[in-house]
Amino acid sequence: MKTIQTKLLAIFLNVTLGIFSLSCIFPLIWMFYSSLKQKRDFNADIMGLPKNPSFENYVRILTNADYHIFESVLNSIRTTVLSIALIIFLGFIVGYILSRVRFRGNRVLYVMFLMGLLIPIHSLLVPIYVVFRATNLGNKWFTLIIPYVAFGLPIAIFLVEGYVKSIPVSLEEAANIDGSSFTSTLFRIILPICKPILVTIGIIQTFATWNEFSFALVLIRDQRLQTVPLAMTQFTGQFSSDYTKIMAAMLITMSPIIIFYFVFSKQIIKGMVAGAIKG
Amino acid sequence: MLNSIRPKNRVIFAYLLIPVAIYVFAVFVPLVTAGYYSFFEWQGGPNKSFIGIENFKTLMNDEIFWMSFQHNIFLVIACIIGQIGLALLFVLMINSRLVKFKGIHRTFGFFPSTIAAVAIGFIWTMVFDYRRGILNWILELIGQQEHTKVWLNEPDLVMLLIAIPLIWQFIGYFMIILLSAISSIDKSIIEVSEIDGANAVQRAIYIIIPLIKNTLLVCVTLCVAGNMKAFDHIFVMTTGGPGNASMVMALYGYKVSFMQQNMGYGSAISIGIFVLSLLVIGTFQLVTKVLSSDKEVV
Amino acid sequence: MKKKWVSVFMVVFLITALFAGCGQTDDSTDRSTEGSSTDDASTEDTSTEENGAYAGELSLMHFSTSEESEGNGGSDGFRTMVTEWDEANPDIALVQNVLANDDYKTQIATLAAADDLPDVFLLQGMNTRAWAEQGLVMDMTEIINNSPYNDQYDHSFFFPFTYNDSIYGLPVLTGGTTTVVVYDQAIWQEAGYDTFPETWDEVLEAKAFFDEQGMDVVAFGNSGKWQANSCFLSAVGNRFTGDEWFYSMVDKSGAAFTDQEFVDSLKFTQDIFTSGVFNPDFNAINNEDARELYIAGDASAFIGGNWDVSYIQSVLDGTDLYDTTKFAVIPQPAGADATTRTHAIGMGFAVAINPKLADDPAKLAAAIDLAYKVTGSDFAEYVGANYALGGLTKVDNVDLSNFDQFTVDFYNYSYVENKACEIYDSYISSAVWDVLNTDLQMMLNGDIDPQKVAENAQASYEANY
Repeated sequence: MKTIQTKLLAIFLNVTLGIFSLSCIFPLIWMFYSSLKQKRDFNADIMGLPKNPSFENYVRILTNADYHIFESVLNSIRTTVLSIALIIFLGFIVGYILSRVRFRGNRVLYVMFLMGLLIPIHSLLVPIYVVFRATNLGNKWFTLIIPYVAFGLPIAIFLVEGYVKSIPVSLEEAANIDGSSFTSTLFRIILPICKPILVTIGIIQTFATWNEFSFALVLIRDQRLQTVPLAMTQFTGQFSSDYTKIMAAMLITMSPIIIFYFVFSKQIIKGMVAGAIKG
Repeated sequence: MLNSIRPKNRVIFAYLLIPVAIYVFAVFVPLVTAGYYSFFEWQGGPNKSFIGIENFKTLMNDEIFWMSFQHNIFLVIACIIGQIGLALLFVLMINSRLVKFKGIHRTFGFFPSTIAAVAIGFIWTMVFDYRRGILNWILELIGQQEHTKVWLNEPDLVMLLIAIPLIWQFIGYFMIILLSAISSIDKSIIEVSEIDGANAVQRAIYIIIPLIKNTLLVCVTLCVAGNMKAFDHIFVMTTGGPGNASMVMALYGYKVSFMQQNMGYGSAISIGIFVLSLLVIGTFQLVTKVLSSDKEVV
Repeated sequence: MKKKWVSVFMVVFLITALFAGCGQTDDSTDRSTEGSSTDDASTEDTSTEENGAYAGELSLMHFSTSEESEGNGGSDGFRTMVTEWDEANPDIALVQNVLANDDYKTQIATLAAADDLPDVFLLQGMNTRAWAEQGLVMDMTEIINNSPYNDQYDHSFFFPFTYNDSIYGLPVLTGGTTTVVVYDQAIWQEAGYDTFPETWDEVLEAKAFFDEQGMDVVAFGNSGKWQANSCFLSAVGNRFTGDEWFYSMVDKSGAAFTDQEFVDSLKFTQDIFTSGVFNPDFNAINNEDARELYIAGDASAFIGGNWDVSYIQSVLDGTDLYDTTKFAVIPQPAGADATTRTHAIGMGFAVAINPKLADDPAKLAAAIDLAYKVTGSDFAEYVGANYALGGLTKVDNVDLSNFDQFTVDFYNYSYVENKACEIYDSYISSAVWDVLNTDLQMMLNGDIDPQKVAENAQASYEANY
């Protein structure tokens, strides 16, 4: 009896998860084989496989936008990598301090960082533009790192804070008795324990930063400094609807991210699932 | 933290200086500036005229704004249940011994949240398309032709339809967060409970969930915050339409500022969103505090 | 939203260091297009001679992307003129910021809000009044009077850009219709009509025929909300109200949205869209998707604007449908008797100059010269010869013999055979149209009463205009 029950349960669990996972990956597959079609075929049969698959869309886009696409990819990579590094590093420190250390202004800072999560971006476009222009920080290679880090900090801080709360204080106390300074404890002991959540933050913010569009539109004028989402707008005419090309272009711009994600997913998952606190 | 191991104030200050400075500069100052603008009648350009709280009075009476607020609340509730609820469920399922291909489920599940909202909106608009969409195609397949509709043109259904891609996209997002939280639970606790005879459901409810409570609360906060300012999906799929049937507050603020060129009022709307978000989150936190009567404040 | 990208060479040639003239400086070095020197920091240095020779930067912002100019003659002409001007002025570093239309509108609105517009940019008709009041656009009345092409300008195009008797822009790109019925004459002949019906009642009668064929009668896309206004209501409203009503609205001399004739036009619009004559998903798809329906033969006709016609032309060329495609005015609604056979035509954007250039006469002269170039006879001849389109400057004897039947038909439709009326959203204000367009979308579903739509629009009009 028990084994039949377990078997049924196993089937149910696997099928449910299977459907879900498939639905998550299917759009990517669909976009890919659709991008191998020409517009007429696509409009005629949206779901079906291409009759005459060809890479024409890709060739057109890549050969014509050569210098621009690659430049924008480089810009995006540079901006994203630097932003993530700062977000993780600073987010960790602030999250820890807010979680553990009682000081005047702790709640105030907490609420202040919370506010960053609540603001719709568009309402800040004009003020941010004004601020950056007044300080002459706009339209530089490092311009976007500033708002990306600033807006990425709240999530990092909260995740770290929540996570740190579940670490027993005895750990720090023991380290202190052993003569470790605050800084040393923070980085030598706490940091490794927080690896799972930091990896998580890194992953989440990588994609958020890579895909960000609004600030890039407002703060960057120089075409050579454009990030990938911004460079994509170059493909947009005022009136046109060639979905197969749209998808090819989307896939091209998403490909660094996708490759990054799938290559590192094993490590990432391992990193997240590994750590367990002993004692 | 014991006083003996608490670092000196100046150490704390040194550590907090840079992140807070960046944050104040790029977030806080613009926010305050936006607040400042909300007291003006301003159509863009160099002329502003101070009108005090007029904008806010208009806001209180603005039907469209309050309807948008309702839509946002709907999204919040739908997403807490959908995104976090399902994420938690899936994570627990994945952890079960009976499930194979755990790695694949984790990897694929997260994938949608890596794609830009524009792409997601585009994909789901195609799903709901009248002529070529999967939804109508399935309905026809199973002989339910009369139920095929122009989905995104149904004022009563459109919010529900918009919630679906939102939920779908971010289940994986919360799955990853919860996964890392669960992974930090000491394995021995779970093993002990198994030996003591607790089955999977009991383990989940009585052991795992309480131990990741803090992370769960953070997830709820993130979910609420994100949905109070939802914008990208709706912009791409319906632009708030048909009419205002799927209008949300952030989109309304954008419309007023950029499409109606009324920047002063648009800023007031943003302040409104901000205040309402604080209230909603505050309410949630209060409720959870009361429910769990825990000294730990998130 | 993507098109083939062709002229990377043009882009490389044009674009040097891209600052957008807002005083943002020195991060990347300035490279001039050809030869001689330019400054690398901000712009105000000039080697000023009184004949206006200017050497420095000039910033231009527009939305004629290379994608856009693939199917759109006006954009192609614009880009060509800009290139020619740039080549002719090697001492001036022309810095262009080119964005797709929707992004352009967001960006320019942001810049206007921050009082930081580029030197030369494109102004949309409906923003003229507000921006003129804010001092964001330069009064160009004198500039226009001094233009070498002044005699050849079609002065009726200036109307949307006029405020308080001053003109604030030189209408740019091509003057095209925004309300045209594109139909397949062959299939309509099968339905019993030699040409597209003159009244909507007849169209409704023909519906039975097309239902049997499994086709939509007319394809239309309104997911962007502006299409119903620009491509339908501008003409239909005019049929009910006549020209005077709208001019009175623009002048604020007594007309109102709640006037009976306008409400009647709204009522008619609601009725026709709920009648099933259009494709059922008109509110969920945009004009691009809708025209594909016509192209694929799923609809017998399509209503849209000249940009749609350019596209249809480029796609259908060489097919049978190309030969049988004809053009017609929007049929007459029952009960409308103010005007007949009108279609909305005009120029929605104009070249405007930042008033701050008044401080630098040499730079201003350069900007003016650029404005003349892109709207003058060179442009008109280019688009006339290549596309049979018209711009601000009238060019005599457009040689139609070079063009095929399709182009000639469309030319005749736009400029010869029918009466012109104004495009609603070239005027008044974006706030008002946003309210009206949103309500319109609901109204087309039958979800809001036309009277209420008129009242809401009137309230916004009184508050914002």
